[in-house]
Amino acid sequence: MQILTYIGRRLIFVGPQLVGILLVTFLLLKLIPGDPAVMMLGPFATDDGLARLRTELGLDRSIVEQFGIYLWRVLHWDLGTSWQTTMPVTSDLAQRFPATLELVTLSLLLALAIGMPLGVVGARNRNGIVRKFADIYGLAAGALPDFWFGLVLIFILYTILGVVPAPLGRLDFTIIPPPDVTGSLLIDSVISGNWPALRNAAGHLLLPVLTLGLINAAPILKMTLSTMERMLEADFSRYAEMCGLPPKVVARKALRNSLPSVITIVSVLYGFLIGGAVLVEIVFSWGGAGQYAVQGVLNADLNPVLGFVLYSAILSLVIYLIVDLIYFAIDPRTR
Amino acid sequence: MTRQPQGAGALQVSADREAGNAPASGWSFFLAVLRTRPQFALGYGIVVLIVLLAIFAPLIAPFDPRQANPAAFLQKPGWPYLMGTDATGLDVFSRVIYAPRIDLTIALAGTVVSALAGSILGAIAGYYETKRGLGRMVAGFIMRSSDVVQAFPVFVFAIAVVAVLGQSLQSIVLAVAFVNAPIYLRLMRSQVLSVRRLRYVEAAYIAGTSDLGILARHVIPNAMAPVLAQLSVNIGWSILLTAGLSFIGAGVEAPTPEWGSMIAMGYQNIITGHWWPSIFPGLALALTIFGFSLVGSSVEVLADPVRRGRLAGEIRSKRVRKTAATARA
Amino acid sequence: MAETMENPKAGLPDAADMLLECKGVSVSFPRYGAPVSEALRDVSLDIRRGEVLGLVGESGSGKTMLSRAIMGLVPPPGEVTAGTIRFEGKDLGKLDEEQLRRMRGRDIAMIISNPRGELDPLQTVGQQIGNVLRHHLNLTRRQIRERALDLLKQVSIPDPQRRMDAYPHELSGGMAQRVVIAIALACSPRFIISDDATSGLDVTVQAQVLELIRSLVSERGTSMMFITRDIGITAHYCDRIAIIYAGEIVEVAGREVFFDDPQHPYTVLLLAAFAQNERLRRYWLGGDKVQEYTGPSPVGCPFQNRCVRVEERCRGEHPALLERQPGHFVRCHFPVERP
Repeated sequence: MQILTYIGRRLIFVGPQLVGILLVTFLLLKLIPGDPAVMMLGPFATDDGLARLRTELGLDRSIVEQFGIYLWRVLHWDLGTSWQTTMPVTSDLAQRFPATLELVTLSLLLALAIGMPLGVVGARNRNGIVRKFADIYGLAAGALPDFWFGLVLIFILYTILGVVPAPLGRLDFTIIPPPDVTGSLLIDSVISGNWPALRNAAGHLLLPVLTLGLINAAPILKMTLSTMERMLEADFSRYAEMCGLPPKVVARKALRNSLPSVITIVSVLYGFLIGGAVLVEIVFSWGGAGQYAVQGVLNADLNPVLGFVLYSAILSLVIYLIVDLIYFAIDPRTR
Repeated sequence: MTRQPQGAGALQVSADREAGNAPASGWSFFLAVLRTRPQFALGYGIVVLIVLLAIFAPLIAPFDPRQANPAAFLQKPGWPYLMGTDATGLDVFSRVIYAPRIDLTIALAGTVVSALAGSILGAIAGYYETKRGLGRMVAGFIMRSSDVVQAFPVFVFAIAVVAVLGQSLQSIVLAVAFVNAPIYLRLMRSQVLSVRRLRYVEAAYIAGTSDLGILARHVIPNAMAPVLAQLSVNIGWSILLTAGLSFIGAGVEAPTPEWGSMIAMGYQNIITGHWWPSIFPGLALALTIFGFSLVGSSVEVLADPVRRGRLAGEIRSKRVRKTAATARA
Repeated sequence: MAETMENPKAGLPDAADMLLECKGVSVSFPRYGAPVSEALRDVSLDIRRGEVLGLVGESGSGKTMLSRAIMGLVPPPGEVTAGTIRFEGKDLGKLDEEQLRRMRGRDIAMIISNPRGELDPLQTVGQQIGNVLRHHLNLTRRQIRERALDLLKQVSIPDPQRRMDAYPHELSGGMAQRVVIAIALACSPRFIISDDATSGLDVTVQAQVLELIRSLVSERGTSMMFITRDIGITAHYCDRIAIIYAGEIVEVAGREVFFDDPQHPYTVLLLAAFAQNERLRRYWLGGDKVQEYTGPSPVGCPFQNRCVRVEERCRGEHPALLERQPGHFVRCHFPVERP
């Protein structure tokens, strides 16, 4: 029951937090020079037309009023329209956010699958070959710019070997996409039994997931390695050794005690990659949410950026809540 | 040794304890560290090499990094274009060695600005957090602002800063600084909070030293080591951010030689098999970040007394084993 | 080692009676820029079956290092550089890691201090006792549960059924100490090392726990090395007492002799600190002059800087551990005579 009280208390703060984030974004974006009206109507617009559009968009009112209007609309889940796509931001994001989520989730699963075992084995055997490899991997992968590494993979696997589909979006144009249920092409294809789409979507996912997964395995690896090392030296591990427990059992104890740190780093990476995957999204023409927001900033298109920031803030909160729930499950001290 | 113990073997050890008492610092220790950790030496080597290339770029570069030769576009790596030319006919090699002038300057300036601003704000926040009145409100405001900055998706925020300030070197530096400042802010604040509780700081306070005096004399010197370690680790990430901004088109404008924008300019050519305009600048970028992260991890070890001590012990035991081995031989 | 290797075993009844024999054990740590530091120097100690040996020393004197050397768990980069440790005649230095591990917790068990920090925070008491039972004895799940419960009863934990499912942070200090004792007794070991086991507890709880340890040990005839900083405790609980200073044994004697006729100035200082006699205390603690703390001296007698009876010989010559009466060993050039 403590869990419920805790979640309740967390949720109370969500509202003000979101308003704060939106306010800062709003002010920051308002500072960007450039008149959306001019950009929308192009160079041949009449003064009259510009003025009418400004009134329509509410641009002639004070900043405070504009923000108030925006908040009021957000409360009704109306995030405005993007003048670039001429679509409501909510429907744009409904399409793009799942694309980013699918990419980031799969990448982090791959990163975990690489980083955790390497970290655990490396920490247990400090002079072993795995440890040497883990150290080099951590440093090298941490130094690779993801957008460039994506290009290298494209060059090798697409240009030279031709084993993956062209790095243009999530699905070939010739493939009929599955009906939109969850937004994840993989899951939707399975639901509708559309096997060609499944195979094609998986092929398109392969390179960007490899790119982000291989690179983000580095921080997970380093965190696992250092925490695991600390836990293996901790008092309880020493005591377990004194009790003559086999090294495997001692390592398992240490791993359980390291899990909170590993989960934390994964959640941080998750939050970071929602926006941070934008470079890789551009390389693969992914059409994800980060790309959408960046285009918005560069073209003084306010609503998509605000919408994106709102979505990712909510997502971060959800992730942190999940992380807390996992802590509750692992560590009796938090109960 | 003036007084030789009379044949007590156990004491031989204690005897030479007085003889050679080199502390775990200074040049000789640093060199010994580089010998036992060759990867650190590699890191310093890479960084020095890149910096030298940047400084002497005008002497080394065979071509003008901004002057395209439209007749020689997409030339393969070879002679006279060591790394080939890009789609507009710019020499990739010349641009690759000119690029760190921009990238390193931005990253270093951005990191230093963020470390300075972040540390000062963090020190203020930490110091006034436990007090009453206006100071506490200021501290609260600083912390909440940093929360908001951290809640932002990093790239979107950095791009927005550049968009607000206009595309220039200074705005990219500020964007890098803005994004990184919360790290130092939190680090410094936690340092100050822990140092404040120490006895001698309380004593100084009771003795009537002013707030600023306490901050300057007791708190900041104590917190220097972790900030320095964080700074050295941070530079690599700042270089990456700088290049990423330029890759998106929110950073340095073409044709200024810069790794990120070079990769962006060449990336359409990759699919057609012209790999060199993108791959070479990316390699240089990765190598530089790799070098800086090695330097960063060496500073992390050296700035931490515990880890430095452990490393010193390792060096010592290696040396002992070696002398034992030579004695046996 | 030029120093003569004394053997505190000499004059004792039967070698087969010996449970643990340490002979000339040294443990050292390499350091940078300074010579190796020796945590233990030429330590020889024997423990007979059923005997409780008290090992007294201040912090940093090497008591814990000796226990870790016996367990084969000297923390790296430290290592045992000289000497042998035999347990029931077996040279522990010749055993491989797996054989050593099987002995730990089953034949040689440890009772530690500050148990709340040393128990795994994520496992229940029952699981932690069960772990030891499972890995050393071939028991079924049911048997493990029963035996764990039985152990908790033996260490007089109230409501053991409920405590089985408690986590370490839910236990009081005394309760956690009892759990650790239960874990130590789990496999009925022949030798128990109690390392400052009661130092973190309230005085009343301390007395209870000490009494518990003593009765459990004597009931089973288990041998024990009782490490403590408190010389007073040893008078009640130990058969023989050894004093360790700066990594060296400076005095060993049976309990009666030890308290009746202490000979090393350090021993006398420790005893005087407890004494009611004001004059005695002032003399041994160095009188009126304020004692500034000085560490062990590297040359000559390690204790010279704190010794009120120091003479020129102590400055240059390292004293050997000599058997002055049968079973009474002292490492001093000028042992204290009984007045």
